[in-house]
Amino acid sequence: MKMKQLLTCLRSQGKLMLFTTFLTLFTCATSLAQERKVTGTVKSTEDNSPMAGVNVLIKGATTGTITDINGSFSIVVPGNNTTLAFSFIGFNTQEVPVGEKSTFSVLMAPASQQLGEVVVTALGIERSQKSLQSSVTKVPGMSLTAARENNLGSSIQGRVAGVNVTKSATGPAGSSRVIIRGNKSIGGDNQPLYVIDGIPMDNSQFGQVGVWGGTDQGDGLTSINPEDIESVTVLKGAAAAALYGSRGGFGVINITTKKGTLKKGIGIEFNSNYVFENVYRLDNLQHVYGPGGATANPADPTGDYIYSKPTTQQEAYDWGAGSMWGPKLDGSPVVQFDGVVRPYSYAGDNWSRFYRTGSTWTNSLAITGGNDKQSFRFSFSDQKENFIIPNSDFKKRNASLSTNGKFGNKITFNAKVLYSNEDMNNRSLLGDSPGNAPIAIWTLANTVNVMDLYGDPNKPGAVPIGVTTPDLKSVGEEFQQSNNNWLQNPWWSAYQITNRNVRDRFITSGNIRYDILDWLYVQAQIGMDYYTRNSNSLSPQGTGYDRTGGKSNTSNFVREINQEWMLGVKKGFGKFNVNAFVGGNKMQRQAENIQVSGNVFQVPFFTSVNNTQNQAISYGFSKSGINSLYGSAELSYGGYLFLTGTGRNDWFSVLNPKNNSKFYPSLGGSFVFTDAFKSAMPDWLSFGKVRAAWGQVATANVGAYSVNPTYSLLGAGHLNIPMGTFSFGDNIPNPDLSPAISREFEVGTELRFLSGRAGIEFTYYDQKTTDDILSATISQASGFNSTSVNIGQLTNKGIELLITVTPVVGKITWDVSLNVAQNVNKVVELSPGVTRLFEDEPRTRTVGIYQVVGLPFGEILGYKQKVDPASGKKVFDETGSPVRSDVYEDLGNGIAKFTGGLTNTIILEPFQT
Amino acid sequence: MKHILKLIQITLFIAIIAAGCDTADLHNMNLDPNAVQQIDMNYFLTASELGMASNGSAGDDNYTDWRTNINFASFAIQHFAMTGSSSGEKYFDGDVEPCEAPFQFYYRDALKRTAEIIKQTTTGGFYAGRLINTRQAARIIRVFDFHRLTDFYGSIPYFEANKGLSAVFQPKYDKQKDIYADMLKELDEACAAFDANEPDYKAFKAADFIFNGDISKWQKFGYSLMLRLAMRVSNVDATMSSTYVTKAVAGGTMASNDDNVWVKCATGPSLWADYNGISRAFYPGDGGSWQDHLLSKTLIDQLKGPNVASTADDDPRLMIFTGGIVEWTLASINPIQLDPLKQLGEDVGLDGAQINQKYGVGSPPSAIPYKIFSSVNFKMMQFDESYQIMNAAESEFLKAEALVRGIGSGITGTAQSHYETGVKLAMQLYTVYDASFVVTDAQVNAYLATYPYNSATALQQIGTQMWLSKFMMWQDEWADWRRTGFPVLTPSNYPGNSTGGTIPRKLTIPSVEAAGNPNYAAGSTQPDKLTSKVWWDGGNE
Repeated sequence: MKMKQLLTCLRSQGKLMLFTTFLTLFTCATSLAQERKVTGTVKSTEDNSPMAGVNVLIKGATTGTITDINGSFSIVVPGNNTTLAFSFIGFNTQEVPVGEKSTFSVLMAPASQQLGEVVVTALGIERSQKSLQSSVTKVPGMSLTAARENNLGSSIQGRVAGVNVTKSATGPAGSSRVIIRGNKSIGGDNQPLYVIDGIPMDNSQFGQVGVWGGTDQGDGLTSINPEDIESVTVLKGAAAAALYGSRGGFGVINITTKKGTLKKGIGIEFNSNYVFENVYRLDNLQHVYGPGGATANPADPTGDYIYSKPTTQQEAYDWGAGSMWGPKLDGSPVVQFDGVVRPYSYAGDNWSRFYRTGSTWTNSLAITGGNDKQSFRFSFSDQKENFIIPNSDFKKRNASLSTNGKFGNKITFNAKVLYSNEDMNNRSLLGDSPGNAPIAIWTLANTVNVMDLYGDPNKPGAVPIGVTTPDLKSVGEEFQQSNNNWLQNPWWSAYQITNRNVRDRFITSGNIRYDILDWLYVQAQIGMDYYTRNSNSLSPQGTGYDRTGGKSNTSNFVREINQEWMLGVKKGFGKFNVNAFVGGNKMQRQAENIQVSGNVFQVPFFTSVNNTQNQAISYGFSKSGINSLYGSAELSYGGYLFLTGTGRNDWFSVLNPKNNSKFYPSLGGSFVFTDAFKSAMPDWLSFGKVRAAWGQVATANVGAYSVNPTYSLLGAGHLNIPMGTFSFGDNIPNPDLSPAISREFEVGTELRFLSGRAGIEFTYYDQKTTDDILSATISQASGFNSTSVNIGQLTNKGIELLITVTPVVGKITWDVSLNVAQNVNKVVELSPGVTRLFEDEPRTRTVGIYQVVGLPFGEILGYKQKVDPASGKKVFDETGSPVRSDVYEDLGNGIAKFTGGLTNTIILEPFQT
Repeated sequence: MKHILKLIQITLFIAIIAAGCDTADLHNMNLDPNAVQQIDMNYFLTASELGMASNGSAGDDNYTDWRTNINFASFAIQHFAMTGSSSGEKYFDGDVEPCEAPFQFYYRDALKRTAEIIKQTTTGGFYAGRLINTRQAARIIRVFDFHRLTDFYGSIPYFEANKGLSAVFQPKYDKQKDIYADMLKELDEACAAFDANEPDYKAFKAADFIFNGDISKWQKFGYSLMLRLAMRVSNVDATMSSTYVTKAVAGGTMASNDDNVWVKCATGPSLWADYNGISRAFYPGDGGSWQDHLLSKTLIDQLKGPNVASTADDDPRLMIFTGGIVEWTLASINPIQLDPLKQLGEDVGLDGAQINQKYGVGSPPSAIPYKIFSSVNFKMMQFDESYQIMNAAESEFLKAEALVRGIGSGITGTAQSHYETGVKLAMQLYTVYDASFVVTDAQVNAYLATYPYNSATALQQIGTQMWLSKFMMWQDEWADWRRTGFPVLTPSNYPGNSTGGTIPRKLTIPSVEAAGNPNYAAGSTQPDKLTSKVWWDGGNE
């Protein structure tokens, strides 16, 4: 009954902070009885080193102690008939009868012969590296904090073969794109599932830069404090991720957080870190010709143009941006956009006048402590980052508390809460030109010093007192450098067009495990990822394209809850070992948002949404869930032959009942031939294994409420009369939609040489996505833009190679790790008769990203210079200008085919005291 | 034994969870609390009515107006001129947005919603046999949008259009002749089927913000539209034309400015849906087009009359269409020249350098166009200005033309009387924009006395007056001009233009549609160029 009560407790307390419950539930009781005192030391069989923190218990009593730093212990025993039990996580428990002895020398052996390196695999199951049948790479937490990145995704860049991480220069809290073994879906986001200590976390994006501009609103990964990470394990293939079923299609990144260890004492760790950054490339723009206009010569219409300098403030203003058609710069006095006459000569490098040195300052503190029954770890971290664009900064505070322990010999538990507060000020507007500071500098007349645009010293970018602008702006409005209303004064963009997001986030989880028998255990787990995100964005009054101004305030509430249970067996039968479990998961995700927006400010320059003439409110809600059952069985023989099969079935809320169930199997095996044929192996080969695996997962999620057509209200009505519309926008829902399927086969080998001083790991994989959900473009005459269909096919084939060498061991240890990967990706099928699917394009509308049958994902197509098919020569027109090709041609691809990383780790042995 | 008991407990526990994997809870979760399974189709009607103006009820109320109505059509018919390059003014085909905008927006706005109203009030729909008046209004709005579309492009998807929800994703193209035949039939049926006594009438009245449920006005709108369509095909299908001219006249067309169709706009709740899109496009700081869309020399010269030294022969609309030569900023209107005699229109087809050359001062000569030429009157460009859809003057002009050309039967009165009524109605409709835009009967009579009806040049006079009556409805006037050829316009011929110096006759279909819809190649009006003519303009069926 105890078990059930605990489960009930766990379930009912799910929404509270679990750790507090556990902290108060369990207290340590000690009783004392004096007979005689014995002492001793505990050492490890592995290297004969003393073991600290080993639990020493008197069997049958509640008395116990732990070993000190030298492995020594002393304990009072009730008499000679006592047995001492020595236990330590990861080691076999030793029982030693006391008898007459008063000093003991105990050797403890690792718990499993096969243990070796332990890797956290799907669903938090720890497995030995050598039993794994697919490529799983572990990145220790230390390497994530050495060269710091704010975004966890970015910090694993180059660490893992086959993982391609890209991050645009969108600022400190920008998102990163992590692609494991290639892009597998056209409709999906191709982003892996992130799992923290067994609990999936939300990695929603809140907006990206597109053809009409915008900001990178970041992703969920910035919330994680790298200091809290013990290790990161990347489950790359379908077989490794199959137990995550519909969520594992793009791979899984398992994060294990640091925990306190079960030993006495308090440890304090303080870390301080400063990073600065500068703009890498300042493009060299021409400074031979100045701003001006070119017009055809009426006297000689076919001859050379007439090039003219600005002669009036209005002309200077008209030609203030992107109109470099004037004559050669000659230093003559010429009026500029603000009416001031300055030399018609190069004004110098405006990039370095505008950009600043970016910096990140991080301080973190961690405290660990506990006893043999329970431990805790608390950490706090504070980070402040200034972006290279002025007035843009990011502040982040993380706090975490985790505890783990045991209750008696059979129950272990852990609970954790991670809190983060992120405050991002002024994400940069990029893409299209409105509010985009870099484009403004790029297009600025080269005779204009960007500092002359600073304007009002108390309101950068605004018209200062005493200046009359050609567009008759009032003091305090945008001080435009040109007549292009859609191109802002860069200072105005940086200081006046502002936005801010603050996210408060809790990731909490609790896990309890009960070892019913030596070979039988049950565990239950609950986790919640909850955050609120408050954001606002201001388009201030006086902005070129929005003279009356506007503001919006948005609140998002996102909650994902996962409840899991698992029943497992682990038993040996002679040379056979079975490690199997069944389990279930219930996931529910809910997202809610409220937006209040308004435009036309009433009281000048009072930037509250309450001060707007037209206000609108919108409310969004979505809820979805997945129920799952799964199981896994690993059968091993002799510690060198492993066979694993897994299965998972998911039931989705977002799909219609007739096709809401999907099964995801995997099968794999590995064979450690060096263990099987020990005597036949040469001395230099210390470890050798071959493996093969096959698995099936899903690659795309369907949004809530998106498969059935419904109606909703349109906006807030017109003239107070309600208006109706379809609730699904421009994409026609498809009631028959089902998840896309990704199947993958992989084979590989792992070899280690010279007692592990060198190693090679090689993998080949072959992946295919079918029934990919495409938003197929349809004729707009249908009334819509697209419809969702299960049609696409993509393939990814590739190799991964990891080479590790340890050239130096001793007082200094030097590890070299090289990983390389090649991925060949191909779009096999789009909708019937469709060979090309448009994705996105820039405002130039001369180039775009497309999916093209037969070419890799995300091919770039655009105009090229025309080539004469007969001569093969490039074509120029009569004036000598290049002639554009008639149609879009293949220009290339922005996704790397080869990825790799080289990591050197040098560890100095601590100085002995 | 203890262990076995526990095992049983656990097994039971698992069994309970397993049984609950595909639950009703899970299915019910997918019901959107912000959506409904059925909705009052009158809500769709209100959205369709708003969508008729600017096609932006769901998103961008100035997109098609800015691009097609203003940046293309207002230039093509020479109400405006600019120094920049525009496909309507200098006939370049490089700027595809004016051509693509109607195709991209019309089908996805009022047409989509009217199609749903018609579907749900037809057998099988959840309002089958009900909402009689809502259905007829939807049919008229649908024809209004479709006639514009086909007039822009020629052959377009019509019969299979707006059936995306019935899985018709790539609709077939229909010949303009067949589209016109069906549109005229639709108007005929819809106008006859209104019923003020049916039980759902009240809800229709509440949703109908254009006429507030006035069925006679809907019928006048429908018959006036029928007259327009019937006259539009008059050069190519005499039978269709005369049949429906007769029907329209018998049904009763708009006769007073109270019958005019206006879509009321408002400054909220949404900038992108409720505002007047034309005003947004011209307004400083938002679209800001006022300073590079200045009234053309063609229009100003017409309004000022042959005697430039006198206001006696001026059209009373001169100082309605223009607010003078001004500097219009968000904060204020700074007059530069308000004297009617000194109003000046911008030459059609010149670039900035040519304007500098012709009007500039200093060395080298320099000119700022808005400081020289008359600009649009800001008093008719307020954000909540009502949006003009159709006016009564047009029906009078068309009746006059029908009489002159002997099309149809049953038209009472003379060509002259209809012409003169048309001029009066056209001059007196502008008080909706601003109370100061009053044109008295005396002013109208004086104008008619100065420019008397002349049966020898009647068609030219009627065409010119129709051209003047459609300020704001440039896209419709572009169709009138293509059909009648009046007024005679001198095209620009800027170097490098794509039409060989002729005014465009058709818009081109969006490249995405051309590449994506397999029915495009065989079904659309070809060649798909600015110079091709649609069927009623003498092109292919």
